[in-house]
Amino acid sequence: MIARQCPWRARQLQQLWRPLRSKRLHSERAVREDKRWPGWEVVVGIEVHAQIKSRRKLFSDALTSKPGEKPNSFVTCYDAALPGTLPTLNPKCVELAIRTAIALNAQVQPRSAFDRKHYFYSDLPAGYQITQRYVPFAKGGHLDLSSSCDNLRVGITQIQLEQDTAKSIFDTRRGITQVDLNRAGSGLVEIVSEPDMRSPEEAGNYVRTLQAMLRAVGASDGNMELGSLRCDVNVSVNKHGHPLGTRCEIKNLNSVKFMMIAITSEVFRHIDLLERGQTVSQETRGFDEVKAETFKLRSKEDSPDYRYIPDPNLPPLLLSPEYIDCVRRSMPELPQETRARLMSMGLTEQEAEVLMAVDAGREVRFDGEPAKGAVQYFDCLAQGRSAKAAVNWMIHELLGQLAARKETFSDNPVSVEQMGELVDMVQNGKITGKSGKALLRHMVTSRSTASPSILAKELGLLAISDDDGSLLKNWCLEAIEALPEEVQKVRHGNIKVMNRIIGKVMQLSGGRVKAGDVRQMLEVLLRKS
Amino acid sequence: MPLRRQISVLSTRLPQRRAIFTTRDIQHLNATVNALVHVSKTPQTTRHDGALHGMTLAIKDNICTASLPTTCSSAMLAGYTSPFDATVVELLRDEGAQIIGKANCDEFGMGSLNVNSIHGPVVNPFQPTDAHDVPLMAHEPRSAGGSSGGSAASVAARLCTAALGTDTGGSVRLPASYCGVVGLKPSYGLISRWGVVSFADSLDCVGVLARSVDTVKEVFDVISVYDARDPTAASPELRKRASSTAESCLPKLFSSVRANTLDGLRIGVPQEYFPLELEPSITSSLRTIIRNLKDAGATIRPVSLPATQYALSAYYVIASAEASSNLARFDGIQYGLRVPPPAGASRSKPSNVYAHSRSSGFGREVRKRILLGTYALTADAFDNYFLQAQRVRAYIKADFNRVFRHPCVHLAHPESCLSADGVDVLLHPSAIRTAPRLAEKRECDTSSIDEYLQDVMTVPASLAGLPALSVPAGLGEDGWPVGMTVVGQWGTDQLVLQVGRVIEGIQ
Repeated sequence: MIARQCPWRARQLQQLWRPLRSKRLHSERAVREDKRWPGWEVVVGIEVHAQIKSRRKLFSDALTSKPGEKPNSFVTCYDAALPGTLPTLNPKCVELAIRTAIALNAQVQPRSAFDRKHYFYSDLPAGYQITQRYVPFAKGGHLDLSSSCDNLRVGITQIQLEQDTAKSIFDTRRGITQVDLNRAGSGLVEIVSEPDMRSPEEAGNYVRTLQAMLRAVGASDGNMELGSLRCDVNVSVNKHGHPLGTRCEIKNLNSVKFMMIAITSEVFRHIDLLERGQTVSQETRGFDEVKAETFKLRSKEDSPDYRYIPDPNLPPLLLSPEYIDCVRRSMPELPQETRARLMSMGLTEQEAEVLMAVDAGREVRFDGEPAKGAVQYFDCLAQGRSAKAAVNWMIHELLGQLAARKETFSDNPVSVEQMGELVDMVQNGKITGKSGKALLRHMVTSRSTASPSILAKELGLLAISDDDGSLLKNWCLEAIEALPEEVQKVRHGNIKVMNRIIGKVMQLSGGRVKAGDVRQMLEVLLRKS
Repeated sequence: MPLRRQISVLSTRLPQRRAIFTTRDIQHLNATVNALVHVSKTPQTTRHDGALHGMTLAIKDNICTASLPTTCSSAMLAGYTSPFDATVVELLRDEGAQIIGKANCDEFGMGSLNVNSIHGPVVNPFQPTDAHDVPLMAHEPRSAGGSSGGSAASVAARLCTAALGTDTGGSVRLPASYCGVVGLKPSYGLISRWGVVSFADSLDCVGVLARSVDTVKEVFDVISVYDARDPTAASPELRKRASSTAESCLPKLFSSVRANTLDGLRIGVPQEYFPLELEPSITSSLRTIIRNLKDAGATIRPVSLPATQYALSAYYVIASAEASSNLARFDGIQYGLRVPPPAGASRSKPSNVYAHSRSSGFGREVRKRILLGTYALTADAFDNYFLQAQRVRAYIKADFNRVFRHPCVHLAHPESCLSADGVDVLLHPSAIRTAPRLAEKRECDTSSIDEYLQDVMTVPASLAGLPALSVPAGLGEDGWPVGMTVVGQWGTDQLVLQVGRVIEGIQ
């Protein structure tokens, strides 16, 4: 109730990061010399803010919006901080946040709480942001960066729920600030990493892997360009074997590329200062994309006192083990699980990678609703069929056709049912492989929803029902007649020329006979005469 | 004609429950009291079969109404009209109640005398009996109390049947006591705060004021429902559990609805509620009440709530800290007063721009509390002030849980703290004195520590979220009303009302 024991200790913001970092042996990884800065070690930790892909905002009924929508059209009285309004926690945001925590192997806390962080800014209509800085809903955890050469594991300090801010745009011409509340109050998960990365490339790898993870579990679409994933990066440098250097935080990096450039430029700035005998002062810095360098925003001394207070409106967030289990069970497969499963079905690593790469581009749907991607398509297609045939037809034929038309998998007009029937028709010999490919091309081009058997009939692609072989015999005789020289050569033992006669037969039949059958028939006929 | 006579003439002429006055009558009567700051133009058509059909109500001006402005008595919101109705206003309308207007109050609910208001102070409409024929204007005007002074005064002046106020640290009980009416601050979380402009969210309660306990109960029963829009609303299960515990302990009291018997009821009188500043005549009023309660069958016993001495400090730290946070939204950008920075003033940071609107828009008391609260939340002061105050709050709750017979249903194991010989309710004076003269306030404007001292009687129940009802209990030495407060365990509001009704009846 009102029985609000204050659940958290007053801790300085800075302390959150430091003690954790210094407790760890940061040099436990083998020294790897970087040609860019010989003798120096780079230490990077990242705070990622990912917009939760929920249909509605974190504490209000307002729909979430994409950038570019009409300004101030996704706003309720609560989002605008009108007097008399109160927050109501959206359980969908909590569910998606828990998925994130589970995917990052973090411990979901049975009890967490919301704090208010105060500052006056035009993008913050209430004068405070609701966050979970002091009692986050998930702690600990790690993310394995699989594609890196030495299988790096990055520790996760904590994951918290918080509100996104509005957007304020300064109109320099008119000298005014314009405020768009569409984004105000959308849900974010903030994922704070341990300072476990040792190079700009590892930092880039971490963000890309995290991005793929968030997309896979449906928690966020992780689009850095559109601002649904934003990074604050902490960078410090030290001589190998020496204690950690002073860190600087670079705020609001909006692409992996710029983040890596920002880190590199910051590393050089630190080294430059240290080599000239100066010290690095703890600062918050911005990044100038044009100059490709960081610039000072404020020093540690100027850092605002956010006057955190436990939010008196929001009761503690209690999450039962049963509920967490329920979320775990309803969660989509994680990327490494998908890879393992596909390979256990008989796919090669390369085939699995292709499928998953295509799958990664799928649309992330609201509130964690199951997404329709390439892997799901494959799973349906392989149901009751050979996985090998399914993957071959998908990767080589379907994806090939789409690629030729410069289309992506999301443009694919061929339903799983159509595709399945087509594969079956080829497998059963109702059409030849060649006809199958032609039929698929037709389906992709015409975007027809008709069943492949009807289409094959219309296009005259059905294999000939030629029980006594008379049709085949006639085409073969015709070919023998048309190509006397080749026939002569074959009879003299030049077997390779046989292929030309077979080709002729195929041409005469319109590809509706199988090459093997033709060869057999020709051999019989040529031996006879 | 003296005001009191005008009122009695009007009210005897018409049946009680009718909307008795026209807008003009209300404005005329209100002119001297200054209880209402916006008066509804036309009576709204309301449901005829509603439980409150025909009842007239005033709504404190910090509760949102779409049809009338909601200014919180602040220059910051002068002219502000909310786009929505508070849940309580919706509930009242749905049951056929007639909203006659918005009631004056201290700015954002901060104050105990209803003098911190852009609408001017509320004048206590009470007429001492020895001065019955002296016009109200001729009296030395007294305060109606605050912060819900307009709500209490509009009820006392018979401008309406009942009024809604809000109570953060005594803002309903104190004006009820000064004006001689009944005022209920219910258990925290029973009445929705959606649409109530926040002062201190963890303490704010909507309260009901009326001239009788029965009327208070009628209104309370309508608005005390679960509302999903209030995240601090008590769940229906919790409400049920709390009320059934109370009923199981005192089945007799609840079965004999109308009987003025208190057989089996144990009443505690907390010894810490008799500070030196308490007017002696108030203690004698309490003695009279206690004697009568004993006659009605109740057992009276002294109890001790030792943490009470720290309540006032803890209250002001917590309430001000929350206020500094809640009032951050008033920046003059989207709504409310906007004072542009003067030429040449710094515009480098948004806070520099907001400062001009906030400095002009908030009154002295509000500015003082925002500064105090802001300080209490700074990194250096947080441990010593805010956390310490939270600890005191926990002690105060524990104190109450120790003396009550009924367990607190909020606890994980309510039975563990069940004290079989505990009391059912507590009884103590509502205020340390009768209504002060308005002039007194003006004289000692700068260091009015007394104003805060008064809250000593009311803030403990606020900090613990307990139901507290102030009932008129005769007159003090000066002939002005005295109030007694009944406090119960969380969720036992009906029991508190029941005891209040007996006190009301034995006078």
